[in-house]
Amino acid sequence: MTRLTIETIDDLIELVLHQNTPSIDLRDVRFMDPYALLLLELLRFELADRGRRVGLELPKAGAVGRWMRAMGFAAQGRAVDGRLRDSESALQPIASIDEERNVGRIVDGFECRLVERHPLSEDGRRSLIAIMIELFQNIPHHSNADGSIADPHGIAAMQDYENSIFLAIADRGIGLSGSLALRTGYEGMTSREALRSIFDQGVSRFEDPGRGGELQRIARIVRSWDGTLAVRSGNALLYFDETGGDVYDVPEFPGLQLGLRLPRHILGIGMLES
Amino acid sequence: MERFAIAQFGSRLGTRLEGEHARECLLAALRSLPPNGQLVLTLEGIEVLSTSFSDEMVARAYQVLVSGELGDRTMVVETPQADLAEGIDVKLAQRRLAMLCRAAGTWTILGFHTPAMDETLRLILEKGTTTTRELADELDLQMSACVNRVARLAQLRLIHREKIGMKGPQDIYELHSIIRS
Repeated sequence: MTRLTIETIDDLIELVLHQNTPSIDLRDVRFMDPYALLLLELLRFELADRGRRVGLELPKAGAVGRWMRAMGFAAQGRAVDGRLRDSESALQPIASIDEERNVGRIVDGFECRLVERHPLSEDGRRSLIAIMIELFQNIPHHSNADGSIADPHGIAAMQDYENSIFLAIADRGIGLSGSLALRTGYEGMTSREALRSIFDQGVSRFEDPGRGGELQRIARIVRSWDGTLAVRSGNALLYFDETGGDVYDVPEFPGLQLGLRLPRHILGIGMLES
Repeated sequence: MERFAIAQFGSRLGTRLEGEHARECLLAALRSLPPNGQLVLTLEGIEVLSTSFSDEMVARAYQVLVSGELGDRTMVVETPQADLAEGIDVKLAQRRLAMLCRAAGTWTILGFHTPAMDETLRLILEKGTTTTRELADELDLQMSACVNRVARLAQLRLIHREKIGMKGPQDIYELHSIIRS
């Protein structure tokens, strides 16, 4: 595997978590996106919880290994504002998202990192901030809504690429079906059904009609920007890019993981000449 | 008429937690108005207003207003840019509520509204004061249909409806625009 991305990370999860390979072999990886990085980070916690000792073979490509470290992969401690960057390539290292009262500060940190590197248009900046606020606060609102998880490990990271800005958010909480199950009439849904209910109908775990609809709205915005969105929960993945998309079966993994690949021009960032 | 600046809570407002606190302040400001007073909620100085914050602060406070708990008080939005009020628009619509909003000098309706509501409200705003009979004639509507439209607008606190008498079993109302200079 040379590219570990939204499109390929599930092959690795299948191998490690379900086919019980003795190691996570990243030796041939020459590119990794933040979505894959966050899933890899959560996979470490998942394996530890299952009492499995699995080796990790880091990429032979030095730049990828340096990027992973600069992004805070496998870091013991983690500052909330993610000030761990020590590499020119890493944009926003993995930041923990725990309590709702910290969300504003974390969003400010992400914006700061991006603005340091790229001037953003006013509209682009406001849209991105609003999206981050909604997605980040979903972690304290939903990932452990039934109190059954010791630590849902909410994390987020961001990276800039030649043509896009990539935002990833992930947790190891109760997932979409677990959250919806707290609402009468929505118990026992599969992950696929939960994804469909949330993205097609704007359903949430609350009866209150003012709650919910944010993920559906963000998906609509990303689609209108010709961006890519991946939302993975349990054993289902909603994925679309500018060419279309659907809900797909993926190997079971706890929690909710999201990846957004936004074209740079949407945020008012000039495209790099390739 | 009092003004209430949302920017007093910050220029980027996002979480529901922040919105809950702001709602308490907004409701206190509404309660402090005279019985038929109006609060102008201004978005001046706001950079980002998320849908979650908009719901917790504005839509839920408006729900209280529409419930009748705050008497004849009204609330309108004023924004330098229409897109800043998008979160309020989305959440009011989800709650099937509607508010008047002045964006760059033009009045629009945020939230849930139908072409019939728009047509009726626009006429009332133009006239300032009118009656259901007059509206029914101008809109070429059955009286009962016009009464229903007006009742819905009054219930949403988009107009003031004042009972001025009775004709047989039916109440006669004078209708007033809530827009104040």
